[in-house]
Amino acid sequence: MANETRKDMKQVPPVFVAGKTAKTRFRRTRMLGCATARILLVLLFCAGFYLSVFPAGRADLRTMLLLPTLLGASEPAALTAADEAVRHTQLIIPAPAGGVYLDVYEPTTPTPLVPGVRGGVVMVPGVGDNRAVPQLVNFATSLAHTGLVVITMTTPTLIDNSISAQDSEGVVQAFETLAHWPGVSASRIGLVGTSGGGPLVCFAAADPRIRDQVAYVALFGSYYNTTSLLRAFGQRAFVVDGHLQPWQPDPYPKQVLADTIAGTLPSLESTLLQNAFAPNGKPLTAADLARLSPPAVAAYHLLAGDEPGQVDANIAALSPQMHALFDQLSINRVVNKIQAPVYLLHDRSDPSIPFTESREFAAALARIHHPYELAEFGIFQHVLVRSNLGIGQLLSDGPHLFHVLSEIVYIGS
Amino acid sequence: MLALSFFWIVIGLLIGSLANAARLRPSSWGRHGRLVMLGVGALAALLGGWLGVLLLERNIATAVVLWMAALGITLPWMVTRASAWIAAGT
Repeated sequence: MANETRKDMKQVPPVFVAGKTAKTRFRRTRMLGCATARILLVLLFCAGFYLSVFPAGRADLRTMLLLPTLLGASEPAALTAADEAVRHTQLIIPAPAGGVYLDVYEPTTPTPLVPGVRGGVVMVPGVGDNRAVPQLVNFATSLAHTGLVVITMTTPTLIDNSISAQDSEGVVQAFETLAHWPGVSASRIGLVGTSGGGPLVCFAAADPRIRDQVAYVALFGSYYNTTSLLRAFGQRAFVVDGHLQPWQPDPYPKQVLADTIAGTLPSLESTLLQNAFAPNGKPLTAADLARLSPPAVAAYHLLAGDEPGQVDANIAALSPQMHALFDQLSINRVVNKIQAPVYLLHDRSDPSIPFTESREFAAALARIHHPYELAEFGIFQHVLVRSNLGIGQLLSDGPHLFHVLSEIVYIGS
Repeated sequence: MLALSFFWIVIGLLIGSLANAARLRPSSWGRHGRLVMLGVGALAALLGGWLGVLLLERNIATAVVLWMAALGITLPWMVTRASAWIAAGT
């Protein structure tokens, strides 16, 4: 019995120590769990507060919702549930150069009570009738889902594959329409121009009627100077960092330039030039060229790119009307008059407009100390997202795109 | 909107559970304190969501839900602490 008691007494201390250790461990785990939960709550509070109360946070949140849509070319279904329902309406407003066709995408929910929260965007989606292009519709719808009112606009001239500086009047009217749209804060409207829509947006942003109200100007895959653009077409190359880089333009921008230049030519010459660059058009023969005036021949060679060594001579041979037209269609004539910050986005392998055009625009803005941001990417095909993008490309360009997009959305938040 | 409201309630319940784990439940709530905390979280989240829709935009409302629910479940703890501090002062 005494032996047993001694045995028990010997065994008790280790059992007691083990229990204490377990309790201490349990307490520590509980305290650690408690601290972790408190930290998590603080983080959730801070994140939620930043993303909803601060305009920069709201911009980041909207960008987070927009980016998958932009990169994936369609909105992920999981995001749609939390989004605003969107109403799509079409309007035609009269303008001196013909009607302006507007597609309005707006949230269906009532205007938020906090004043100035709802911003707007006027988009000019380039030359041609792009109103039904799925990526454009998807992007405009996604912007509206995030609470913005979006107007995409086009004109008969743009639909006719041509560019006219007069169409900037339509952009001004679209801007004023949006500024008077119920619930939209007039000081939070940005102008977005893609490709050939870029110059029109800039001309409108420099217009005295609205230039003080435009929140920002964003150009995507656009050009700066028509003559330097034509030089790149003629040389089939452009200069990057002092080196000549070969470049093969797509047929469509050549067609647009031919149609635009054709307006300065007599009927027969304009038809010949337009037909040469129309879809399935054939190069002009020596006999055809003989029927053209020297300026029309020079324009043809510049667009056809068959005299890369004669580019300067061909540009000099263009008619005064052509030079006047190019000056009229170049952004450099209004760069000093734009008040809003300018965002320039361009794909480095753009086959329609060399990315050096955006660099040239950025350099001009830097010279006059105008606020701007230039972003170059490798994930777009001109202005559309490439299909089957690799994860590496997305990781390299995604954060950059997020940053620029967030800054643009910030101004409208 | 119904689905979104349910989503916000789920977020509120999760934040309420976090509050329980963080031991923010006042002892005066008694035996059902844990459930009350979950309810407070869900209610604050729902309120935050609808307020977010009303004041801001629908997609920003979920961010409002986060901080409103976090604030909602912390308030009782803060009130208890404050009253204890005032009582100790007097």
